[in-house]
Amino acid sequence: MQLGFLVDLDNCIGCKACEVACKSENNVPVNSWRLRVKYVDFGVFPEVKRTFTPMRCNQCANAPCERSCPVAALHTLDNGIVNIDKDRCIGCAACMMACPYGAIYMDPETNTADKCTYCAHRTEAGLEPACVVVCPTEANIFGDLDDPKSNIRKYIHAHSDTRVRKPEKGTKPRHFYTGAGAIHLEPSSSRREEGKNLFGNIGKLDKIGGH
Amino acid sequence: MDASDPLTMGNAIVTLDVLHSGVIWHWYVTMNFWAKSVATGVVLLLPFLLTRFEAPKLRLQAAVVSVLFINITLLFTVLDLHQPFRFWHIFAYTQTRSVIALGAWLLTFFNFLGMGLAALAYLKKDALFDKLLPVQWVLGFFATVYTAGLLGQANARELWHAPTETAQMLLAATLAGSALFLIIGAGGEQARRPLAQVLGLSAFVSATIFAAELVFGPQKSAEAEHLVHILVSGELSAIFWTGLVVGLIVPIVAVLVGGEKPTHPLMIGAGVAGLAGLWLLKHAWLIAPQLVPLS
Repeated sequence: MQLGFLVDLDNCIGCKACEVACKSENNVPVNSWRLRVKYVDFGVFPEVKRTFTPMRCNQCANAPCERSCPVAALHTLDNGIVNIDKDRCIGCAACMMACPYGAIYMDPETNTADKCTYCAHRTEAGLEPACVVVCPTEANIFGDLDDPKSNIRKYIHAHSDTRVRKPEKGTKPRHFYTGAGAIHLEPSSSRREEGKNLFGNIGKLDKIGGH
Repeated sequence: MDASDPLTMGNAIVTLDVLHSGVIWHWYVTMNFWAKSVATGVVLLLPFLLTRFEAPKLRLQAAVVSVLFINITLLFTVLDLHQPFRFWHIFAYTQTRSVIALGAWLLTFFNFLGMGLAALAYLKKDALFDKLLPVQWVLGFFATVYTAGLLGQANARELWHAPTETAQMLLAATLAGSALFLIIGAGGEQARRPLAQVLGLSAFVSATIFAAELVFGPQKSAEAEHLVHILVSGELSAIFWTGLVVGLIVPIVAVLVGGEKPTHPLMIGAGVAGLAGLWLLKHAWLIAPQLVPLS
């Protein structure tokens, strides 16, 4: 069994229910995120569009975070989930330097690295991740990539435009997108201007973990 | 209008997102890199001096400096951890594919053997010191270059994957080692000119690589191009160019001005400039890739 995720961006409405459910399910501290939905606007008025891109850990088959962790706190489970042992983590942030997707954060309460684990505690009990359950448009598709009958396998088979983020990094992500363009997947395709904008602040964290 | 159409991407702007994590490895890590360059540099240069000059205090000076600076390295390594009291996990749960873990073992052995060498130098057991020095030299060499492997494992940070990273680590060590020896006057007057030559040559080759790689050379990806822009003409340009001028150009000029008989005050100035500039260069190199959002 190799668990994987697919987000159909044509279905995503940017409601952020997944983001809230993730925070609630995993008690993710303030200013930390396991899953986030990024909005990018493009075009020239009146021809403008807004894209919504949910982003979480890609549970890479060739995970650079796992390779760089000096104490093996990051480890891959049999079902393909890259899990983290917070009791073993020393907080060196090597994993944050290695992850090309910026998916790992330093938990300010435990001072250890943390990330999305596809709700490993729920999947172990046969439940779906919290973000999948709450999605009102079923944009999040979760399942076993090894099972030809699984919804995710059928979805990947049916959609020729299935993509992953930064394939050139060789990480072999188990997280896929359909309906995605460069603006969704490549951070360099959009400007990130710090300061107040339509919805809030675009900026930087004041501190990382306990530092 | 399509999100994958390059013509529509020009004015794409992020309108809602979480806060960017910013600089995660900050100046503590710069201190680590910088102090390690001194600690291993003096060891790498010591056989060069011992085979050429009779200097009774040289062994003790080099060993003490090396131990002092490797412990500064280790101190800042531990301080940078968000769980510093779990440092021992690296030795108890070593993950052998991690360059950080291998480096921790390497630096530990280097530190202990360095302390042993300092004790031997103090007790004037020169014969035994000289027998153990090649072992410490090999440890010092790998302790110098392992950082390039460490940065190479940071898959997300393009700038650190430069093919010349290992060469720059070695040059930083020879620059820092010779600078420190010149400041303390190790080897006396007779060693000053050869040490100045090592300093000047290290600075010259390092500056040439920086110029070839960052200013004139093409970059392998758009991300790398952007990072080089941040260093050379963007947010970090003041730190980078100050580091390059103070750390590399000033020592080259000082060595040229010093000529056949460089004075000690001039070489102290060159050494201090070299060490200060090296810190700035290491810092800019460390910070630049962390300023760019990864997703």
